[in-house]
Amino acid sequence: MVKQLNQEELQKVVNSVPMLSPSASQLIQITSQADHDLMDVIDLVRTDASLTARVLKIVNSAAFGLINTITSIDRAISYLGERIIVGIAVGDSAGKLFEKELSGYESAGGDLWKHDLRTAIAAREVVTQSGVDISSELAFTAGLLHDIGKSIISDYLHGSVTDAVEMITTDEDLDYLDAEEKLVGFDHTRAGYELARAWKLPEELAEVILHHHEPINAKEEYRALVYAVHLGDNIAMMGGFGTGSDSMRYKLDPEYTHYINIGPKTLASIMLNVDIEFEKLESSFTGSGDEN
Amino acid sequence: MGQIILGVGDYGASNSPADDVKTFALGSCVSVIFLDPKTRTAGMAHVALPDSSINKAKAGEKPGYFADTAIPALLAQMAKFGCDKRGKGMVVKLCGGANVMDSNDTFQIGKRNALAIKKILWSYGMGAVAEDLGKNFSRTVSISVSAGQITLSSPGKPNWQL
Ligand SMILES: [Fe+2]
Ligand SMILES: [Fe+2]
Repeated sequence: MVKQLNQEELQKVVNSVPMLSPSASQLIQITSQADHDLMDVIDLVRTDASLTARVLKIVNSAAFGLINTITSIDRAISYLGERIIVGIAVGDSAGKLFEKELSGYESAGGDLWKHDLRTAIAAREVVTQSGVDISSELAFTAGLLHDIGKSIISDYLHGSVTDAVEMITTDEDLDYLDAEEKLVGFDHTRAGYELARAWKLPEELAEVILHHHEPINAKEEYRALVYAVHLGDNIAMMGGFGTGSDSMRYKLDPEYTHYINIGPKTLASIMLNVDIEFEKLESSFTGSGDEN
Repeated sequence: MGQIILGVGDYGASNSPADDVKTFALGSCVSVIFLDPKTRTAGMAHVALPDSSINKAKAGEKPGYFADTAIPALLAQMAKFGCDKRGKGMVVKLCGGANVMDSNDTFQIGKRNALAIKKILWSYGMGAVAEDLGKNFSRTVSISVSAGQITLSSPGKPNWQL
């Protein structure tokens, strides 16, 4: 049954979500600073034995097709890039949240992680292929976290899919966010933002989570990043990786053209690269770490 | 009963009455469906992009990915079941090609996919007799080979036939 939440209840649900592991949380902090370098990442990973082991296992997995085994963590991290390290740490520490079945969206377990990973890859491609002056690694991290609010409100949306779809089919001005808000009192961007604050995520990531469906409302200094994730999110859904009932049922913010320059050709090339990159990454790391 | 599941850029055909040919969650991708009443063969391609010129290597490895390479590949596959090489007598149906709610043109890949497919079909003298294209939701599509029947589904909507 659909159940309305008030602010206090939402807060309670958010507070019941486990914290990120210290490594994941610190990795996010470090990598969102503009002036960090890879050494900071390496030093941090070194302090976490199980993360080190995971990173080495992944870099040597078949997906990366290396001829010689990499045994040093420095080389593994510089080979994979910091975004992959953040992905591994977040997946390992909040895997349950990402892997859970979103029954409120009629979306199978694992769909959210795949959607987030596609969004992360696409957001990074958007940055590199458009040449916009923001960190492509940060765009990846932001993409990974953008929809985390769905796993918070999904249980409350249980049984609402037909109503939600009908609501936005009969009134074309509405999108899925409006449906969520009407049904449970909060949409997934708001729920995700509350979790971002509980997790003490850096401000730019919290802004992405809160405004990824309407970047125009984000703070000017973070707006280009929010647009990159916004486009990445839409590209993920267009590629067939949504999270069930809400897929493609959002508005594209037309103002993106003032921040990010992509035409049809670039978009096609981005979509193709997302498919190629996703195939490689999906098999190498999953939130559940199922091959362990 | 066999299920032939096609991923993005895959194509396949079957004449075994026990089979279903199926693809999941078409967003802007378009599913091209060929039904050959004479040999009772059903085929499908899951097309992601309109034009293979952006990456010839990918087109070589996965011809179903692009509209211009998918249709020849699917026809060749169906010819293996005794169908006409140029698609004569086949029933063509199209579905998918959804678009996000967008006021400018760049993100209308679904529309461009459908257009490219229709152009190529035209060059073979083929045309779709039924289509369910566009709008802003994802579609899962399944053909039952025995009945030549196409069923579509999308969360929150009752299933429908094409
Ligand atoms: Fe979202
Ligand atoms: Fe999303």
